[in-house]
Amino acid sequence: MTEAMLFYPMALVAIGGALGMIASRNPVHGAMYLVLSFFGIASVYVLLAAELIAALQIIVYAGAIMVLFVFVIMLLNLNEDDLERPRLTPGTIFGGAAALAFWMISFMVFSDLPDQTMPTELPEGFGQVASVGRLIFGPFIVPFESTSILLLVAMVGAIVVAKPRI
Amino acid sequence: MPKYSSADILGLAPALVLIVGALTLLLLEVFQESEKRGYQAWFTAIVAAIASLVALPMLDGEAHRILLTQDGLFFAVADRFGGAMAIVVAAGLALSALTAGAFLGARKAERGEFYALAMFAASGMVLLAQATDLLMIFVALEIMSISTYALAAYLRRGMRTTEAAFKYFILGAFSTALYIYGVALVYGATGGQTGLQQVAEAASEGSLLLMAGVAFVAAGFFFKVAAAPFHMWTPDVYEGAPTPVTAFMAAGVKAAAFAALFRVFTVAFGSEDVALHGWMNVVVVLAILTMVVGNLLAIPQRSVKRLLAYSSIAHAGYLMAAIAAAANPEVRAAAGEGLLYYLATYTFAGIGAFAVVAALERQGAEGPLMWDLDRFAGLARVRPALAMAMGLFLLSLAGIPPTAGFMGKLLIFRAAVDAKLYGLVIFGVLTSLVGVYYYLRVVVYMYMREREPSVGELPAPRLAMGVALALAAIGTLILGIVPGFFGEIARASTLALGG
Repeated sequence: MTEAMLFYPMALVAIGGALGMIASRNPVHGAMYLVLSFFGIASVYVLLAAELIAALQIIVYAGAIMVLFVFVIMLLNLNEDDLERPRLTPGTIFGGAAALAFWMISFMVFSDLPDQTMPTELPEGFGQVASVGRLIFGPFIVPFESTSILLLVAMVGAIVVAKPRI
Repeated sequence: MPKYSSADILGLAPALVLIVGALTLLLLEVFQESEKRGYQAWFTAIVAAIASLVALPMLDGEAHRILLTQDGLFFAVADRFGGAMAIVVAAGLALSALTAGAFLGARKAERGEFYALAMFAASGMVLLAQATDLLMIFVALEIMSISTYALAAYLRRGMRTTEAAFKYFILGAFSTALYIYGVALVYGATGGQTGLQQVAEAASEGSLLLMAGVAFVAAGFFFKVAAAPFHMWTPDVYEGAPTPVTAFMAAGVKAAAFAALFRVFTVAFGSEDVALHGWMNVVVVLAILTMVVGNLLAIPQRSVKRLLAYSSIAHAGYLMAAIAAAANPEVRAAAGEGLLYYLATYTFAGIGAFAVVAALERQGAEGPLMWDLDRFAGLARVRPALAMAMGLFLLSLAGIPPTAGFMGKLLIFRAAVDAKLYGLVIFGVLTSLVGVYYYLRVVVYMYMREREPSVGELPAPRLAMGVALALAAIGTLILGIVPGFFGEIARASTLALGG
């Protein structure tokens, strides 16, 4: 019961932030709404006893990635005239209809969820840095080390793309 | 904690060799004077050869689960299927790298990063073919995709290339998002499993949630392999990207994505309820759609590069037919054999055809004129060897015996007949006949038209290009004339597909 009382306001913050982000015309406002949404999601993670992911969500998404977004927006330095006016075109109508259909199908899918017996007692140290670290460097070592290759590739790729014409 | 053994390292050896090769090349680049380049293509080809050599032990013997934990968790497997795919990917890498050596050399754009990224991409492809966990597949898919995004943006001369690179990046990122959303749904439907075997155990019946997950995972893969209706990006991206990169994307990315798709669909979602009564019908419809769209839209093309792009969509359709046939557990081995064989033939003939396009590409111009059919007119007089190689590749792509493409199509259609998918086979054969028309039109131009002086000079022949074309031609002929050679490997590998 207390969980539901905490969950619904947090979910509302997450969804409200997301809606505000797509609805706001000013890109900087949009970015700030996105931060709000990230905070909402992070608090839902806390409710799920995933404290580490909640902290990472704040540090990485609301912190680092958003700073990057705001930097790009400021570098572009958009004027009021550059911003597109919202208009009703066949494309937007179709897109909206598709999103609505997707939402309805998702509703059907998720209301059909099988009853699963969730563990009532969490294992010792669940979702904390030490146990996640033990998992990453234990059984998950192959995907974890592959991720380091992925980051290196992304770095080399970004440099290649950012270079002036070859 | 997993116990490490030498078998684990050996199982990952092909990917490790490619990664070490890429890192070596990146480091060597620091000490290079900018004028003395040109060794990188050969270096990449040698690394690819070593990678396929170390993949050979995987072809015989038991499947080894890499870093198996006590809980039965493992993320990759060293089995025959993975080994065979590693060899196919390495062949594709070597051929594209040699093509790129000649292509970039002629444009004074030789940089080590290009080949390093190609090797990283190939390591992602190898891992993708060996991965047995939806999470590992995601990481491998991203290694492959991010390298190819950067490769597509490598030679940005003109608007079209920039457009192609951007389109590929946005749509590729979107497709990966679809895939990971599907994985999340599967994770929920199976009570927290991502290992293919564990998913199969937890999800023998198709609940609505599971089928939604399957649909999203499939959509992510269909984007990568350019199956209709997820093919819209393909012609523009393939036309705009540097031609050797197009060859690598068309053969390598497609091969690895199909290998992972096959493993996921047969191992994780292979139960009767999920496969036969679930995704099979959807895949059949999409396969027919892909074959029809690819072949029909290829007909009006005058740019040979764009024609090959549409033909690559059509080939994705035939490969989808193999996936559809694999829904039936009894013909799964035959379908897998067809899929592997077809991927091998497309690697040689597809890259070969794109390499010829690269060899003839007009420099300094922009737009479709660079690859216009007129540039192929009378080629047989001026460059008989080049025309002959192109003819061979096109015949193989059209599926005319005794080339490799015929054997590939035969194996896939036979598996589809065994699976009683007669409608699919009829569409497959009819669209292949359509394909013969536009492939042979290029041959007619090469052998029966006079050369017009207005199309400009041909670029000078280069050694790396000659070697690449010769290897591709030999591969196409061997796979066509001695089908047992690779067929044995392909059959054995899919009989015991490690999960």
